[in-house]
Formats: sequence, structure tokens, C-alpha cells
Amino acid sequence: MNLKKCLLALVAGSVFFVSCSSDDDNNSAEPTGAYKDGTFILNEGNSAPSTASITFLGDNGNVENDIYTSVNPGKPGLGTYLQDLFFGDDKAFIISGSANKVTVVNRYTFEYIATIDTNLENPRFGAVVNGKAYITNYADYRVGTDDFLTVINLTDYSTSKVALNNWSEKIIEENGKLYISNGYYGDGTSITVFNPSTNATESVIELGASPESFEEEDGILYVLGSGKLSRINLATNQVSGSITLPEAFTYSAQNLSIEDNKLYFTSSTSVYSMPLNSVTIPTTPLLTYTSTSQYGAMYGFSVNDGKIYIADGGDFSSDSKIYTYSLTGTLLNSYTVGVGPNGFYFND
Amino acid sequence: MTLKQFILPIMLMLCHTLLAQQDTIMQLKEVVISDTQLRNFSATQSVQRLNDSVINTNASSLTSLLNYNTVIYFKENGLGMVSSPSFRGTTAQQTAVIWNGININSQLLGQTDFNTLNTRDFDAVSVRAGGGSVIYGSSAIGGSIHLNSELDYADAFTNELRINYGSFSTQGLHYKTAISTDKFSASVSVTRNSSDNDYDYIGQEGKNINGQYYNNSINAVAGYKFSSKNRLVLYSYLFDGERHFSLIFPSEIRTKYRDSNMRNMLEWVGDYGKFTSKLKAAFLQEEYRYFANIAYQEFTFGRVQSIIGKYDLLFKPNEKFKINTVLDFTQNKGNGSDIINKTRHIGAASLLISHELGSRFMYEAGLRKEITNNYESPVLFSLGTKYQFAPFYTLKLNTSKNFRIPTFNDLYWQEGGNAELKPESSWQVEMGNVFTVKDVMFSVTGYYIKIKDMLRWVPTGGLWRPINTDRVETYGAEALFSYSKTLGVHAVSLNATYGYTVSKNETTGNQLIYVPYHKATASLSYSIKKFSAYYQFLYNGEVFTRSDNNSRYNIDAYTTGNAGVEYNFGNANSYKLGAQLLNAWNADYVSVDSRYMPGRNFNIYITLKFK
Repeated sequence: MNLKKCLLALVAGSVFFVSCSSDDDNNSAEPTGAYKDGTFILNEGNSAPSTASITFLGDNGNVENDIYTSVNPGKPGLGTYLQDLFFGDDKAFIISGSANKVTVVNRYTFEYIATIDTNLENPRFGAVVNGKAYITNYADYRVGTDDFLTVINLTDYSTSKVALNNWSEKIIEENGKLYISNGYYGDGTSITVFNPSTNATESVIELGASPESFEEEDGILYVLGSGKLSRINLATNQVSGSITLPEAFTYSAQNLSIEDNKLYFTSSTSVYSMPLNSVTIPTTPLLTYTSTSQYGAMYGFSVNDGKIYIADGGDFSSDSKIYTYSLTGTLLNSYTVGVGPNGFYFND
Repeated sequence: MTLKQFILPIMLMLCHTLLAQQDTIMQLKEVVISDTQLRNFSATQSVQRLNDSVINTNASSLTSLLNYNTVIYFKENGLGMVSSPSFRGTTAQQTAVIWNGININSQLLGQTDFNTLNTRDFDAVSVRAGGGSVIYGSSAIGGSIHLNSELDYADAFTNELRINYGSFSTQGLHYKTAISTDKFSASVSVTRNSSDNDYDYIGQEGKNINGQYYNNSINAVAGYKFSSKNRLVLYSYLFDGERHFSLIFPSEIRTKYRDSNMRNMLEWVGDYGKFTSKLKAAFLQEEYRYFANIAYQEFTFGRVQSIIGKYDLLFKPNEKFKINTVLDFTQNKGNGSDIINKTRHIGAASLLISHELGSRFMYEAGLRKEITNNYESPVLFSLGTKYQFAPFYTLKLNTSKNFRIPTFNDLYWQEGGNAELKPESSWQVEMGNVFTVKDVMFSVTGYYIKIKDMLRWVPTGGLWRPINTDRVETYGAEALFSYSKTLGVHAVSLNATYGYTVSKNETTGNQLIYVPYHKATASLSYSIKKFSAYYQFLYNGEVFTRSDNNSRYNIDAYTTGNAGVEYNFGNANSYKLGAQLLNAWNADYVSVDSRYMPGRNFNIYITLKFK
């Protein structure tokens, strides 16, 4: 960390300890910061900027709401309809749909670093590979062929565009490659494999179903889509198998998450789990939670480090709640967060 | 409804009698208007009339006129941007806008954007508080706003030109010409407004970006008496405007919105002594184009064409008794990039009675039933009475059942529209006290409204859908005050309004968002010979922006004021030169979260009238 940033941090009156010792240069120092150990919850908000916020749930169980605003008074606002948060080295990137921009913060202190607002048009999700961030963009949401990737050079935050010509939504990095789910609201039925070293699409894997969520484990990409659970072998980029979902799940299964050799997904207010290699889709839920939200149930979901995390969208006009459950489906805790919580991002 | 809830508004009326209030109610001139029910069947409710002199000293948008002169609260996304009213704590879809007797709320949105009408095109704007669905159909729950053109059959030829210029390159041009004989009367009004609207924010970095707008409108009215008993009148109003939507964050994708609206009505009036018959045919077209990114030519759009046929028969056996039947038929044909193309038909019959018994007591009643295959339509009614207890005091009581029908977007939006929706319906009651002493008019009205099946769009995963969900209970009080006095060369007038509004979601008990408990306006004007000066004041109480009423996120109360001076250079003709200081105290305020309004700014105008 350079002197300028140090001064900036001090001037900002941050209460958080910032390491300024000279041995920072070797990057081997253990990161420090108030938000080092815990989970960020993205509260997407509504059209009013004060509704979009980020909550921090510490591993110690403490909850702090609206951390960005409290750490960064006077800095540019995040924007609203917060869409995604992703990490790269010591940074976190926060995408706002309405403001059409990305805010870069230190992932441990949450101090503001930069704003990226070029070559973006309805940004969706992002991932980092080799010093560059890649963000999917809808452009015109009714059209798939104009979707593109924003490539951000993380040394100077300069940007460029790469056309994708396909409905582009979620994006993950695995082994130096980027995997993009080509599907939103039923349009698009494939996975794009993008090679950052050539800056071009390497392969498009047809699924025959619109992908909703996906995750990689041991060289296999598991894709949950409309009516299908597909497995893709990333060594060959071929679909190695797919299971048709029971009719009740055709359009309702979502939020695929993998933890400890188990695959979790949700349907309505229920969570289901199955062994990763199973070919049978369970019909008995692991747990069902009660939602007061008529239509914001299971708005965010994730399984991590032995816990199930559920975010309830609430009424999208007031603070809502998240719940944590054990892997056996016992309620552990509930916390009040911000407006429209939609995702969990584990800072570890 | 519990007794307590009923008593409260009445208690409030008594408590607030000392607060300053208004009315710009003037005596209704005996000129010819199409909306005769406003005159004939509104005696037991409050009707506030804003005449051309009030219209002329306000900015040309309907938002600005009503915001500074009535109890109606406005939620405006920055100056000139989308503007939605809340009348008596109801939603924007629960206020009807009536153009020459015809309901012109958008068939797509259910509401009128109050920044898409130019007030200078009309001779009078009236605000009728409370239920009016029996006469005006959907949306007349909180109240209705009436835009009327008045025709005078007398030998006259008048011309009026108004030019204004102000801060942020705000320009206005208005020209009206009227010609009439005892048989023929016509007037044409043309208005253009535009603004760069790029004001700096107060007390912080930044300015209003992408807020520019322009609009053009033409209002034409022509009437011809082809016999002593029969006349034909044609009304026509065209509005075309383009607004860029201002940004909160400079990096937002820039968007713009285009409104093109056309309203035409032909009316045949037959005056046969005790019977007055009116046959009306109207053709309305509304169209919007939304450019989600101004860098591209592509847009989404919606269009509804409506044909309305109306037969209105008034039977008036004597001055004290009126009975009015109205049969109407409406066809709405909608299409657009995001809705299923649909045509819907609505037929309706209504019966209205007004009866005076003696010189002090009168009652009026109405009944309406609509028939349509699109939704179940309830029987609507209204019942009102008025009693003059003393020359200075009149009591009014009114109760009614009203509704708001689902819009084309609610029913047929792709994806998400819900064809199973019911209309929102309300039952309401009000009590008005009117005090008139010499030059002072003071009225206090307490009301209670119960609304069920409120429509709300809620997210269903990625998809938003409307459902009939909430029940809302609204009660409050409105006070209007007006005073005017002329002494020799001096003339002074004071008008004030105050509204206290409680609007609660019955399930949560919370106040609805963007409904202030308190709103007040006042205007004072003074003139001596050819010089006049005036001051307008507006107070908006704080509003909740969160449904759980978390006060941390409230929008603060604000007070703004406008001052103006005017000098008339003319003699027989009137040549007025005026200057206005708007937001005179440079108040830093928003009406919607993060939508900053302009600070102190200026406007000069010249109005030339030739007879």
C-alpha cells in the first residue's frame, strides 16, 4: 500500500486499522481489516439510492448494516439494484445495475478505491482472472446478440469490450478459464467457455435448457436449468450427463450450491440436497422456511462452511431478513439486513 | 370502521380551525362548459376553482399549479420529470383527470403524469375533492382534477401572447386567440415549453444531468349554434413532449421518454326547455415511446386508442330538481411492445339526482353500474346532502363507493400481466363545514376512506406481477381559506390550504410511503393600480420511504417559496411584464429520494392581451 492511500485512509477518518508497514510490498502479510472474517450480504434495494446497501455478518455472529456508507462517508454512492459482488486479490467489486457502474473497495477494510463506469451497459456478474476483471453485460435486455464482456485492467482500471453474441448472465472462473451461463428469463440455452489468454470464446456448450445457476467441483460444471440438471466435463467441454427434473421443479428449481460433496438447490421456500454424484432428484425437502414475503422468497441462497444461508426479499421497500441453518436443516439464527437481500459473498 | 376512527377526523377539524387555509373557489361563471356535472352534481363536496389569473402566475405544468395551490401532494422525480399525485392519501391511480368531462387518465398506467399537461391551454382548472366514480368513472377516489375550456357566445375577438424566459434556459411561448359571435365561438391556444433543466445541486457537487425537456400543445374549441336550441361543439387537445429522464448517478444509462396524446370530442347539445340532451363522441389516443438508451434508435412503446360514446339527458322540471341519466360506451384498443394487443369494451349507465327542498336544504344522489367482460364491476353510488344552518355556515355530508379499474399494463403486460385482477374499490364518507363571512371563505372537511383490493406489482423471482393485495384506511382533514378585499386602488387576497392525512396499510398499521401527514400552501397577493406583487408558500411534511416506517430513511419536511412582481403597461389592452424569484430561500429539498430540486432561480415574462 502506498503512502497516498495511507493518507487517504487516515484523512477519511476511518476507525479501522490500516497496515502501512514497509513489508507490505512483498504481499505476504496477513490481511487485516474489520471485514476480514465473515460474509457480505448484498441488499439490492429499489430505485431509491438509500435502499441499496451491504451488510457484513462476521464469523463471530455480529451484524453490521450499510458498511459501505459508514466506512466511506463523502465517497461516491454505490448506486442501486446491486447486482453482484465479486473478489479479486485484496479487492471486492460491487456492480450496480441502475448506476451502470462498478465500485472497487478493499475487501478487508471496505475502503473505497475506485469507480469504473466505462464500457458498461446493464452489467450483471463478474469474475477476476490474471489481473483482469470480466463483467457480463445485457446491453439491451431484450436482445441476446448484443451482450458483451467488459474487460477491466486492474492496474489502472482501464476497460475494453469483447462481444459475446449470446445471452450472458452469470460468470465464474475456473483454472484460468471463464464460464458464462447463457440464459436469462428463459432465453438462451448454453454455456460459453471464454479463454482470457486469447480474449475470445473457446467453445459454446449447448444444454437444451436455459441455465439458472451453476458451480464447478472437481473438473465438473454442474448446471441447474429449466427442467434439467446438467454435468459438463471441463476437460472435454462436453455434457457428460443430464437429469430431467421432476415436473414440480421444471421452472422453480434454482440456486444450485455445492458443499462437501453435496448438491443443494431450492424450490419455492424449500431447500433440497442430494449427493453430488446422485442421479435421483430428491422430492422431500431438507428444510422449508416460512416467508412473509409473497414473492421474494428465497431471494438469495448459498451453502458455505457447514451452514445454509437464506435471504428473504421481503417487500422490497423495507429492511428484510436472512436466516442461517445447519446442514441438517435446523435454524441457527436470523438477522435483519437491508432492502431486498439477494446474495451471500464469503470473505475467506 | 370504529367510532374512534370516525370521530378523529371531526376532532381534527376543530383543532385545526386556527391554521391558515385556502380556497380559490370563485363563483362559477355562467359560461358554457362540457363538464356540466361539475356544476350540477358537486354541491355536497368541495370544488376549488383555479382561474386564469392563478394559472398565469404559476409555472405551466399542472404539477406546479396544484402543488402550490391545493392540498394535493406531489411526488416529482426532479423538476419536470414524472410526477404523481397523492390526493387524500391515495395513490396516483386514485386521482382522476377529467378533460372537458372525459376521463383522460392513461389506460396503460391508470394515472396521469401531471407534467404532461400545460395549464395555460385551459380556462379553468377545478379540483373536486372526494369520490366521483359515479360521474367520472375509474380513479375518482381521492378526487378529480377538471381541465375545462369555456365558451362564450358574445361578439368578441381577443388575442393573447405570453413569452417567458428563465434560469436553465427555460422558455415558454403561449398564444391564444378567441373569436365569437352570438352564434359562433372558437378559440385556439398553442403552447411550447422547453428547458435545459441542468440546474446545479445545492450544497453539494453535481448538477441535474440529462433532464432536458420540451413539449408542444394545441387546444382548440369551436362551437356553433345552428338553431336556437341546438349547438355543436368540437374540442381538441394535442400534446407532444419529449423528456430526458434525469440521472441520480452520472454513470447511469441515459434514457428519454416521449408522450404523444390526442384528445378529440364532438358534442351535440340540444336545449329543449326542461330537457337538455347531449350526445358526445370522443376519440382519444395516448402513446408513449421509451428509449432505454438514447444512444440507440430503438424504443419500446404502448398505445391505446379509445372511442367513447355518451348520451347525457338532463331533466329539470324546475330550478330545484334535476335528474340526469348518462349512458356511455367505451372501447379501448391497446397495443405495444410489451402488452398483449387487446380491445376492451365497457358499457355504463348512471343516474344522478339533485333536489333542493326549501332554500336551505338539498340532497343529491347517484348510481352507476358498468358492464364489461374484463373484470367484475361493483355497483357504485353516491349520496350527499347540504344544509345551510345560518347565512355564514353550511354543512355538507357525502358518502360514496368508487373504484379504480385495472389498466392495460396490469392486465396484459408481457410477462407478468394478470388477467384475473379485480378493480380496487373504496367506500368513503366526508363532512364539510363551510363558513362564509363577508370577504372570507373558510372550509374544513373531514373524511374517511376505506380501500380494498389495492393493486401492487410485486416481484416473483425475476418477474413482477400485479396482485390485489392491500387494504388501506385513509382519514384526515382539509382546510381551505380565502380572503380578498379591494379598497380603492388597493387589492389584497390571501389563499391558504392545509391537509392532514393518515393513510394506513391495514395489515401492518404503517403509514403509506410518500404520503405526508401535513401539507400546507399559502399565497398572498397585493396590487396597487397597475403594480402587483405576490408570494407563494409551500410546506410539505416529512414522508416515509420505507414500508416499515423506518424513520431513518424519511425524506425531510421542506418549505419553499416563490415571489413575483408584475406591472401592467397597457390601458385598454393589458401589457404585463413580470419577474419571478422561484425557491426564493434557496431551499435544498427533494420530493423523491435523491431527486434534487433546483435552488433559487429566476423567470421573467411578458403577457400581451389585445381586445
